[in-house]
Amino acid sequence: MVGELIEPIVAESREFVVSEIAEPTREHGHAGVAILLTVAAVVAALIGVGAAMTSSSASDAWQSALRTEVKRSAGAMEDVRYLYQAELPIAVRIVEARILESELLAASQGASGATKQALLLEASVQSQIVTGLSPSSDLAAKSDYALAPGGLDLGKRLAALRAENPSMLALDPDGLEATGDRLAHKAELLMMALLPTSAAAFLGVLAQPFRRRRLLLLRLGSAALAGGAIMALAVFFEVLT
Amino acid sequence: MIAPDSAAALRAERRFDLVTAVLIGLIAVLAAILSVIQIGASQAGTRADLQAARLAADLSARISVSAQADDSALTAQQTALMLGIDATSREISGLQNSDDASIALGTAEQSAFEKLKAALTATSATTGGAPVDAYTAGLLKADTAQLLVELAEQNRQVDLANAANGREQRAVLGLSFLALSGVLTGLAAVFREGRSGRISLSAACAIAAVAGLLALLAIV
Repeated sequence: MVGELIEPIVAESREFVVSEIAEPTREHGHAGVAILLTVAAVVAALIGVGAAMTSSSASDAWQSALRTEVKRSAGAMEDVRYLYQAELPIAVRIVEARILESELLAASQGASGATKQALLLEASVQSQIVTGLSPSSDLAAKSDYALAPGGLDLGKRLAALRAENPSMLALDPDGLEATGDRLAHKAELLMMALLPTSAAAFLGVLAQPFRRRRLLLLRLGSAALAGGAIMALAVFFEVLT
Repeated sequence: MIAPDSAAALRAERRFDLVTAVLIGLIAVLAAILSVIQIGASQAGTRADLQAARLAADLSARISVSAQADDSALTAQQTALMLGIDATSREISGLQNSDDASIALGTAEQSAFEKLKAALTATSATTGGAPVDAYTAGLLKADTAQLLVELAEQNRQVDLANAANGREQRAVLGLSFLALSGVLTGLAAVFREGRSGRISLSAACAIAAVAGLLALLAIV
């Protein structure tokens, strides 16, 4: 009689239903799920921070490459401008005066009278031009830059001008860009380590409803997490690049 | 005996929990994929942008420096030519006026003109020659064909930057949708199995699917 009264109440209780339809499992592993998800979140955060910092460094290197490129080209343009606009016109005038003086003197050897006087006078004018301008022109005055037919070695002179600022010559935007490329590659590899880490989180979350497979899923999740962490460490310490 | 309604409710609740768990896991995986795409696209965009700017600076330097060298060579030839014209003019004037001195001066200048022309040609030929460093030599010797190739590369880098920026925007949009999906999933977990919970979960699934689609679009 008592049993008949109690049965309907028992039949509607959720606990009773659970015991009926659920698989007879041991309800453990919640802590494992929580630990796996927490560690996965921490590892993912660390990977994210590392990748963001590395990516930022890559961007800095690229920016620096651009600034260095501008600086390098400005330095080269200034040296070229000085040589071709400031030095060369005077040097060309000196070369012209030298050649003229030489030709006029040669012509005066075979001349006489007023013609000889005119040639010598004009040669003297050219000589004065050479004397007056030479102190202001290293290019024309220094024998280092003289060429056989009376010309000037602009390559040598430009190299000498450029060597006056060795720091400008040492600028290497390509090297900085290569550094940026290397850091960017490292950041991408670090971010790749997020994939196994997220897979660990996925398996950890699945372990909660799949009670019978919980242990297996937790183990797989732990392995994925370990894989992600090892990959991140290897990339960070440049074992894997 | 088990009440059939209770058993069905429990099965529905378990199904709800399963879908929620799978969705949370998928959100985690999609977030990782979108983050990888986003950072890759961001880096590619930044690099291409800066590379385009570097090439623009280099093009500007090449045009300016090579034009200066060309102008200088032309001016040198003009200087020699002027001497030649001067020599000829003196000779003609000397002949017309029977002035031997002018003729002699003109002849000497004519000889000087030939030598000056040779000297200045040799001078111009040393432009960008050894021992000038390779970078400066490259600026001095740049020709139109090289400049056009560099210009094409610069335009390509601009296009690359635009494409990468588009991919990054899609990835960021996908991450935003994922965040929304995560919030709705959390809301569904609070509501539990029921009309509100099911609506939240369905919306979360739909938005996560859109995020997945954006991830695909960002990859392509």
